[in-house]
Amino acid sequence: MATAVMTRLDPQSRAAARGWSDLSIRNLFILPTIAFLIVFNIFPLIYSLGYSFTDYRASTNAPANFIGLANYRDLLNDDFIWNNFIVTAKYVLVSVSGQVIVGFGIALLLNRAIPFKGLITTLLLLPMMMSMAVVGLFWKLLYDPSWGIINYVFRLGDFAWLSNRDAALYAVAITDIWMWSPFVMLLSLAGLSAVPKHLYEAAAIDRAGTWYTFTRITLPLVAPILLIAIIFRTMEAFKTFDLAYIMSSQDTTELISIKLYKMAFQEWQTGKSSALAYIVLIMVLAITNIYVKYLNRVKER
Amino acid sequence: MAAVKSSGALVGNRLAITAILVITIVFLAPIYWIASTAFKPRALATTVPPTVFFQPEITPFIKLFVKRVQLTKPVDPAVYEAAPWWEKRIFDNGERVLRTGPNVQLSAYPSRFMNSLIIAITSTVLAVGMGTFTAYGFSRFKIKGEQDLLFFILSTRMLPPVVVAIPMFLMYRAVGMTDTHIGLIVLYTAFNLSFSVWLMKGFMDEIPKEYEEAALVDGYTRMQAFFKIVLPEAATGIAATAVFCFITAWNEYAFALIMTNRRAQTAPPFIPSQLGSGVIDWTVIAAGTFLFLLPVAIFTFALRGHLLRGVTFGAIRK
Amino acid sequence: MLRKSLAGLLAGVGMTLAGAATAHAEDLTIFWAEWDPANYLQELVNEYAAESGDTITVETTPWSDFQTKAFTEFNAKGDAYDMVVGDSQWLGAGSTGGHYVDLTEFFKKNKLDEVMAPATVKYYAEYPGNSGKYWAVPLEGDAVGWAYRKDWFEDPKEKEAFKAKYGYELDVPKDFKQLRDIAEFFYRPDEKRYGIAIYTQTTYDALAMGFENALFSYGGELGDYTTYKVKDIINSPVAIEALEAYKELYKFTPPNWGNTFFQEDNQAITEGLAAMSMNYFAFFPSLLNEATNPNAKVTGFFANPAGPRGDQFAALGGQGISIVSYSKKQDASMKFLEWFIKDSTQKRWAELGGYTASQAVLKSPEFQNATPYNKAFYETMFKVKDFWAVPEYAELLTQLNNRLGPYVVGDKGTAKEALDGLADDWTATFTKYGRYTN
Repeated sequence: MATAVMTRLDPQSRAAARGWSDLSIRNLFILPTIAFLIVFNIFPLIYSLGYSFTDYRASTNAPANFIGLANYRDLLNDDFIWNNFIVTAKYVLVSVSGQVIVGFGIALLLNRAIPFKGLITTLLLLPMMMSMAVVGLFWKLLYDPSWGIINYVFRLGDFAWLSNRDAALYAVAITDIWMWSPFVMLLSLAGLSAVPKHLYEAAAIDRAGTWYTFTRITLPLVAPILLIAIIFRTMEAFKTFDLAYIMSSQDTTELISIKLYKMAFQEWQTGKSSALAYIVLIMVLAITNIYVKYLNRVKER
Repeated sequence: MAAVKSSGALVGNRLAITAILVITIVFLAPIYWIASTAFKPRALATTVPPTVFFQPEITPFIKLFVKRVQLTKPVDPAVYEAAPWWEKRIFDNGERVLRTGPNVQLSAYPSRFMNSLIIAITSTVLAVGMGTFTAYGFSRFKIKGEQDLLFFILSTRMLPPVVVAIPMFLMYRAVGMTDTHIGLIVLYTAFNLSFSVWLMKGFMDEIPKEYEEAALVDGYTRMQAFFKIVLPEAATGIAATAVFCFITAWNEYAFALIMTNRRAQTAPPFIPSQLGSGVIDWTVIAAGTFLFLLPVAIFTFALRGHLLRGVTFGAIRK
Repeated sequence: MLRKSLAGLLAGVGMTLAGAATAHAEDLTIFWAEWDPANYLQELVNEYAAESGDTITVETTPWSDFQTKAFTEFNAKGDAYDMVVGDSQWLGAGSTGGHYVDLTEFFKKNKLDEVMAPATVKYYAEYPGNSGKYWAVPLEGDAVGWAYRKDWFEDPKEKEAFKAKYGYELDVPKDFKQLRDIAEFFYRPDEKRYGIAIYTQTTYDALAMGFENALFSYGGELGDYTTYKVKDIINSPVAIEALEAYKELYKFTPPNWGNTFFQEDNQAITEGLAAMSMNYFAFFPSLLNEATNPNAKVTGFFANPAGPRGDQFAALGGQGISIVSYSKKQDASMKFLEWFIKDSTQKRWAELGGYTASQAVLKSPEFQNATPYNKAFYETMFKVKDFWAVPEYAELLTQLNNRLGPYVVGDKGTAKEALDGLADDWTATFTKYGRYTN
């Protein structure tokens, strides 16, 4: 791990005498980026905060009327919206825990001398580099009840993964697990390879059992980096739109992003959807905050 | 563990290797399946039991690129005989090719693919370009509230696309930027910029500042030192960052779905739209998917040394 | 072989580019959903291009996001599309939102209200109802009909067993009771054969369209389209009876039939899963094509059956073509519409596979005998009803899906509770949009 603490040049250093001053170079290098992000990320959010207090519909020419907190009140009193949040929570739980189990499991297996280790690791990483929308699409073929390869291989008859009300969410989660377990694997491998070898040697000399070694040495040392993987995946799973939107379309798989999309771009309740967007945004920012905190903690090690 | 060479450990190792092989095969099976479907005759794409061995053919790719319509009555044998070989393939599939006069009409796939290329490449150049400068600034200069600024930059990356899309749609509408290449390029640049800053800052931190100081002593200006010393040193980092940004833009779906229509639509929202009417032709979808995934697969191999760094925003390096 | 195919394709590209460079006054774009009729329309407009020099491209997107795509473009005031072949429900939003060009004058000048079938004029073109204002030209007539397995129905052994069990001949169902009986009769999970395929998906209008077939034939209505009264209409005893009947049919569907629309319903026939399958007529061509349906030769078609009191209606599909008000090529679009409504064009449109709305063509024997389902289509088009066409129709659909979905496929609550809830939701929505103030 590289040291994060760098000695810095003083803005008024020697070079300042020639050409551009360091101060102006610094501003020239940094300010456009900040400005760009403010214009295209922050300003829109301020803009929609305003709309969230109105009954505006982008589909009509009617002016927006200020209705105070009515949108927020309606949303929080709407059982269907709560159901969307419950579905989302279920999805996050299933898919992230699946990814951690599978990803960490593979990392444990891979953490040894294996022929073609580099090639195998790279091949395993392919799924997570692909487009979620396209992955969702071709998993539909794999899940097909009549000719899908999954039902054939596992002898499931004509089980309709994506149409079954109860199974559909799990089916989407399985696809997500396939895509993102490699991510957890990659981070776990980095954590595992950083565990000093002498600790294992010492444990072997003490005739410590495999379980003891795992819970007392491996797990605690890998935990911080695994936690990063978990928080990051939680955040991403919470935001999931593409995969579930393409794969299934029923109320039991309607994640909050999908509900938001429908409310904004199918029903055109622009004001109300802006309010929902803000509720979602606050939740995402909370997770982001935790994530960055842990990211920095691990970085400083 | 490898240090302990008991016979038990050896057996364990063998088991682990077998397990790894099985897992690798299971993980690659879906990719293999979609790739092989792209070369199947239509009748073999949806058989029970699934067809594994078959004579590969290129018909799905022909169908992917031309506009077709379902036959409502059998083809005139004379017309069939006169048709070029690839058109016969389409007749054999119960469809015919649409023409304007003598010209074959192309499907929308090539133009969507081109849109994807234009938008992904341009936004990558912008994001990596701006990101490199900014990362250098953060890496080398004192900045008040640096951590807060970096957090702000990162948090813009974490915004759910649908949340941003609502106000962006209204703003783009006001200035006529919906369904334009530039509109999507700007969105993807903003989305990738934060990532590029974080990743490039890691690479910049690794370049010893003594290199520039030596150059400054030799009479270079800070700008010259940046361009002639730092940038070449950062080349690998820039390349890795660029590939990551490209893949992100290439794969993006939600913004493209909401913000584009026919002019600037990229491949990800288009490929599912070939699901078609009455009966799905999976071979054509597989062919479109195959071509679309190919660059990503190649880049994944090119990037393999930097993947860990990329997915952790440069926080963890090997 | 690869090289040869590439060469062929490149030659095609070259010719297209060359063609694009020399020809044309205007390039027009028509937006429609991805299905066979859109391809037939492309073929038709290619003939227009040869005549007029204006080239036209039919752009498509799948049904699942057709509505969203069209309205994001409209609401963005974009000119990507010059014309759109829009769903009948869109008329309210399209006209009051200022997205559609007013075609009233064009309509009256060409007497289209007499030329086109009455139902298509009423539902695809006019908004508000009976206002005499027209926003579209009926382009593709469509309604929900049924495909069935002729070989199963005509099997003497089946006929005999059916008669023994139900006391009447096994034949194309004449009413919903027979529909139900036949569905029950063919429901044999152990043989992997099932009775019936219906629409159940709870996105956009799938479930609404499916339920409407029962509702209208049972004599029910969604509400009063002029006063917006829905209480005691959508939850009236006949409506409850109709919903119960629809749910009853769900019992005889293939397993996990809880998220289905036109694609699944066609698959039910192509894979030999179901004896009968509900679908829009426009999806039937692929059931006649042996390349896509192994059972093409033994597939028959019938119109939506009558209800217990003899009413017989079907849910309307189909679309009219409108000129987008943000288009910069409205004159050229108008010129195209003038060509499109010519008798000869309408005839050609039907020949290519389009469902013309022209009464003269519909009544001609050539049309009625052209395919095995055209006759059923012709009969259906004179007894169709449609969903709300108000601008807030998308919210109404969401509410219908939220209320009826869990009852039909999730076994939650009763038909009365579902429809009472829906009546409350719809009343609240209409109140919100001020429908009751005048």
